[in-house]
Amino acid sequence: MTAETSVRIVAARPAGHDAGSFGPFGSGWAAAEAVEAALQPTPLDAQPSAYVQTAWANRRHGVTPSARVAAAVAGGVLRVRVQWAASSPRPAITDNNVFADACALLFPLDGKQAELMTMGDADHPVRAWHWRAGTPDPFVLTATGLGTTSRQAMPHGVAVEAEWHAGEWAVVFSGAPEAAGASSVPMGVAIWQGATEERGGLAAHTPAWITLELPR
Amino acid sequence: MATVNSKPTRQLAMVFDLNKCLGCQSCTIACKTLWTDAPGMESMWWNIVNTLPGQGTPRGAFTHGGGYKDGKPVPGTFPSLREYGEAWDFDHQATFGDGERIPLHPRNRDGSTPEWGPNWDEDMGGGEYPNSFFFYLQQICANCSKPACLEACPREGLYRREEDGIILIDEERCHGYRFCAEACPYKRIYFNPQRAIAQKCISCYPRLEAGVAPACVRQCPGRVRHIDYMDNLEGHPYKLVKEWKVALPLRPDFGTEPNVFYVPPLAPSAFNESGEFDDSRNRIPEGYMRELFGPAVDDALETISREREKVARGEQSELMDILISRDWNDLMGPFTQNPAQLSRPVPEK
Repeated sequence: MTAETSVRIVAARPAGHDAGSFGPFGSGWAAAEAVEAALQPTPLDAQPSAYVQTAWANRRHGVTPSARVAAAVAGGVLRVRVQWAASSPRPAITDNNVFADACALLFPLDGKQAELMTMGDADHPVRAWHWRAGTPDPFVLTATGLGTTSRQAMPHGVAVEAEWHAGEWAVVFSGAPEAAGASSVPMGVAIWQGATEERGGLAAHTPAWITLELPR
Repeated sequence: MATVNSKPTRQLAMVFDLNKCLGCQSCTIACKTLWTDAPGMESMWWNIVNTLPGQGTPRGAFTHGGGYKDGKPVPGTFPSLREYGEAWDFDHQATFGDGERIPLHPRNRDGSTPEWGPNWDEDMGGGEYPNSFFFYLQQICANCSKPACLEACPREGLYRREEDGIILIDEERCHGYRFCAEACPYKRIYFNPQRAIAQKCISCYPRLEAGVAPACVRQCPGRVRHIDYMDNLEGHPYKLVKEWKVALPLRPDFGTEPNVFYVPPLAPSAFNESGEFDDSRNRIPEGYMRELFGPAVDDALETISREREKVARGEQSELMDILISRDWNDLMGPFTQNPAQLSRPVPEK
């Protein structure tokens, strides 16, 4: 079981802001408290590929040290914004050896039992809302362990907006996690930096579930 | 991962005779028109034929890592699109229109002039006159018995068919990570940017299942390519690889145990400084042959030379009969079905 960190994201319910002000760099976010969540690289020795373990033994991955996370309910919709530094953005896959920046919000489907570091296991699945720069449609990942992810289309009502500005990505996920209705939701954040060729299991992520508190 | 990389019950194998290739690219075009004319596949050439010595396709074809050394994976890179060669545009109107005739020349997508492409150094070759030489090297996916591509994928996106050892990419499972392309030492895996997945030669398995030889085999006017299951003791691959030992894997030092084998080119003797044949030296340097095909190439070339001489003396040679294959169907093992005689389903509109 993954320990829960003390990081708590409290979703604001700001008054006087319309939904349009909650774009990636919208003014509405000023009313939501952003929390800096530390990230760490995914464990290399857990990668289910001897090639990946060997090829990356002397390379850095999971280079994003932290992400700034904020949440707000606006227009009746929960929005989670993730921001991280990306001085060399990769906004699209433009060549064989170019990898796009990406971000995911992860949710355990069994409360907090699933292991975040290994993307859950057969009995404790993890679901992720996944955005990849340059890919028109974000998608949902369901995993029961490393290397097991399957993709599905985003459920109706879930949307993603993203923008890179001044050395930073801001990605806003809008929609209701499956545990909606609860007062809080365990959530993880994962970031892939295309500049360092991060992909698949090579990412930076919160070392444990963080808590997303939802307004009543 | 045993489920995707278990040993097949039969192994399909091919032998390419480098002494017979014309460099006509019929195989290349047969493959291209059949499999890689969809959006996102414009720059893919699952079958390539390159002039050797040369840089190959992609540029520096065998220098990008991958494969195994001492049983361990060797880190590799995936060359850029331009190192493979983009799908070029040609301004036919500028050349054939009513205005000033501008010679036809290719352009990259951004309008720039290409600096590399498939068989870019076609006319180069190696050696110095009068000992210059060249030959053509055909490459497809070799369905390796120790497939670095398959073993590199962290999500079992590739699998080996139990019935014939053909390695395929599961396009539903592939997430476009491209570790497979880095790990393949022959760089025979491509990336489809529109679908964000890896794609490669599929050995024409739908044809094989209908008893039809792969397009590259059947379309070859030089009768270069032999195909059969390796467990057929009368089949050409078994005869050439196991019995006569004249067909060898390309770059065996890569450690992936490919199932495409090559009959090495037997060049004429070199000229000496007096302009006379020096029968002690092959015009293609032995060191170059060993680099490509390993130390077994010396015996293979000697065997081919010996059997050629037998035929020249009017004697019979099973090896030469196999390599010549007077009956075209003999090249194709059990895959002699004429595709024109098959009924084809009408595509749904």
